[in-house]
Amino acid sequence: MADSEGRSSEGESETPSLEERTTKSGRLPGNRYVRIHRRAEFRREGDIYIAGEESLEPETAAGRVYERARRILFGPRLESDADATERLSILTGLAILGSDNISSSAYATEEAMRILALAGIGAFVFTTPIAIAIVGVLAIVVLSQSQVISAYPNGGGSYVVASDNLGTLPGLVAASALLVDYVLTVATSTAAGVAAISSFVPVFYDQRVGIGLVFIGVLMIVNLRGVREAGIVFAGPTYFYVLSIGALIVYGIFRVATGDIPAAAVPPDPFPREGVEALSVLLILRAFASGSVGLTGSEAIANGVPSMEPDERRNATVTLVIMGTFFATIFLGLTFLAQSIGTVPDRSEQETLNSLITRSLVGTGPFYYVVQLATAIILALAANTGFTGFPRLASVLANDRFMPRQFAYRGERLAFSFGIVALALVSAAVLAIFNGSVTQLIPLYTIGVFLAFTLSQTGLIRRWRRTREAGWQWRAGINGIGAVVTGVVLIVVIVAKFEQGAWITLVVIPVLVSLLLSIHRHYTRVQDALVLERLDEPLPSPRPPVVIVPVGRLDRAAVQAIAFARSISPAVKAVHITTSAESAKEFRDRWEHWAGKVPLDIIESPYRSLVPPLIKYIDGIDRSDDRPVTVVLASFVPHNWWEWLLHSQNAIRLKASLLFRPNTIVIDVPYHIDDGHRSRL
Amino acid sequence: MQPKRVLVALAGTSADPDVIRLVASIAKPARASVIGIHVIEVRWNLPLDAVMEPELDRGEQLLESAKKVADQVGISLETELLQAREAAAAIIDTAVERKCDLIVVAMPFRKRLGRVYIGRTVQNVYVNAPCAVLAYRQEQNA
Repeated sequence: MADSEGRSSEGESETPSLEERTTKSGRLPGNRYVRIHRRAEFRREGDIYIAGEESLEPETAAGRVYERARRILFGPRLESDADATERLSILTGLAILGSDNISSSAYATEEAMRILALAGIGAFVFTTPIAIAIVGVLAIVVLSQSQVISAYPNGGGSYVVASDNLGTLPGLVAASALLVDYVLTVATSTAAGVAAISSFVPVFYDQRVGIGLVFIGVLMIVNLRGVREAGIVFAGPTYFYVLSIGALIVYGIFRVATGDIPAAAVPPDPFPREGVEALSVLLILRAFASGSVGLTGSEAIANGVPSMEPDERRNATVTLVIMGTFFATIFLGLTFLAQSIGTVPDRSEQETLNSLITRSLVGTGPFYYVVQLATAIILALAANTGFTGFPRLASVLANDRFMPRQFAYRGERLAFSFGIVALALVSAAVLAIFNGSVTQLIPLYTIGVFLAFTLSQTGLIRRWRRTREAGWQWRAGINGIGAVVTGVVLIVVIVAKFEQGAWITLVVIPVLVSLLLSIHRHYTRVQDALVLERLDEPLPSPRPPVVIVPVGRLDRAAVQAIAFARSISPAVKAVHITTSAESAKEFRDRWEHWAGKVPLDIIESPYRSLVPPLIKYIDGIDRSDDRPVTVVLASFVPHNWWEWLLHSQNAIRLKASLLFRPNTIVIDVPYHIDDGHRSRL
Repeated sequence: MQPKRVLVALAGTSADPDVIRLVASIAKPARASVIGIHVIEVRWNLPLDAVMEPELDRGEQLLESAKKVADQVGISLETELLQAREAAAAIIDTAVERKCDLIVVAMPFRKRLGRVYIGRTVQNVYVNAPCAVLAYRQEQNA
């Protein structure tokens, strides 16, 4: 008996349910009671079943081993409700979202000096003015990004700002620029981290690509463990770097101020005194553009506002300001020391400027290794900003149907696992292609972020003009300055670095935009085809189909498939493919002796091919009858995985061939042996 | 007494966590298995197997909470949800069917007409159960 909700009583049921009710008799007459058994894997809340962790428990030994390994590597699963606790504080947020920008301070000075060195080391006098200009741009960017945080607290950064105010195409350009930038953040930061290590362990220089790939793999795993755990892991190294480099700068400034200026350490391959190019405005602009690499990563906080603890806006803004202050202090400090000591960068990239400054100040004692280790770790971990930004942006794009839906799904640790793995693979490929060279990667790097900055600032100006909120004039003014400055830097970067590799980014961004648009077109087409416009439409009643059952052998599996076919339609036809007339006759004799009495067609295939004649046969039947065609496949399922190797599994090949055939339903009727279960058919 | 199987009746009161801790202190040294049940009493104007959603949800939640407390105190709690006309009869019948040698019932401290009120279910289990019964009354200030 079933009640009105289809739940069973007395153990019987017409509509299956996850709840089983058994009426039991008590010791005394009339003392009946009902035992309500609900499966442990599902708990109920109202009229919804919630799949508990038990429903994810593997049933096989191999599955349990995999599960244990997965747990050790990625940690236990988190429920969706844990999202509120999977947030970043200012302390951990600075480490996760700000490490890219802060770590850029380790190499921004060197990148500017490398360009100036082309005009000879005398051109280094421009290093300090360039550094001050870059910090000025950073101040404007920080102020503008705080406007983005205030206006768009749901994250998405430049993509959302540009889409909302400038339209879909500018939004996608910003998104593509950021996606490219995040990939390059991972590749460049990893390369810079490995370069820092090979500065004090030169033997690693030749293995830099391999070490970089290992770093990316480790970062991927830590990020798959969830954002909070990644924050805890990365907080230590970030503050270790800030403290150690801070101590070095304070010590260096003290020595310079007291007139105890050390002799500059000599790099393995110093730039020559005489330059190979004339000192020109373009060269200075190129140096400025190269140094501007230090501004990358400053957009990450505005992109990831929802990952901050409440009050998200306030915490994100405070984190942004602290990040900018740390970067500016370290960058200006290292530039001042490089200038005061007279450090010349290493042309061969074997030793970093940071290492040379440290070596000049403290020699190669323990503190030298502390600073180098801290720098190496922060540079490698700066890649983590990419791992935070890329998956989140990809999920926003996926929700807007510009990227595959998989990017929007959260994994078992509430991380956007698909995005994390995709980023790791792409950035690993980029690192390998560019042979782990920071200098080769830098020219590609800055364009994306400045393009996104410019678009988001312009978008914000339009927003303030449209909404006219209190104080809109000064907000629009700030964003106007931001848009002009970042736009100018963008043009300078493009012009200055075009030949060095910036053209690659300029080609990739439009390609990515068109890819995102074509994905969107696909999803729109599918949505149009599938959407149920009217909910009051009655359920269609299709006619019983023509059922074709390919039969290789008249055995239990075939009988079960034919029995099932008969249960869905009276029009059932069995078909047997054979290689010779003798075996055809033999099969026909056996079939006629069988009590099944289902019409049989036998096809002889002298070329011993099975699937193509069967497909042609199905085509023929389909053309001769206007009813839908259903193919019922009997598939034998072995007990152990290795037993698959002992069977041809034609059903799988046939299923694959029929997958894309229109108007064809394929039903698999598995036949399990030796599993202790009797067939229910 | 060293019980082999203990049945604990859970009513969803504030005494439930206390009684589970008490059962743990008895069951752990004896390595006894523990079954926690909650009985939904069905009024006579409804069929015995009537689907009573709010009561079912409450029952599931209190059993879930009981499992969490049991996990904390280190015992494994098997839970059952029942519907009956009278809770005491269902508790006793389940204890008999599951061959339990101890039933533990709990009651919060309540007073009626100036006297401590035990309640119909605890009283009936106490009087009619064939096995040992331990009744836990919560302290006055709990």
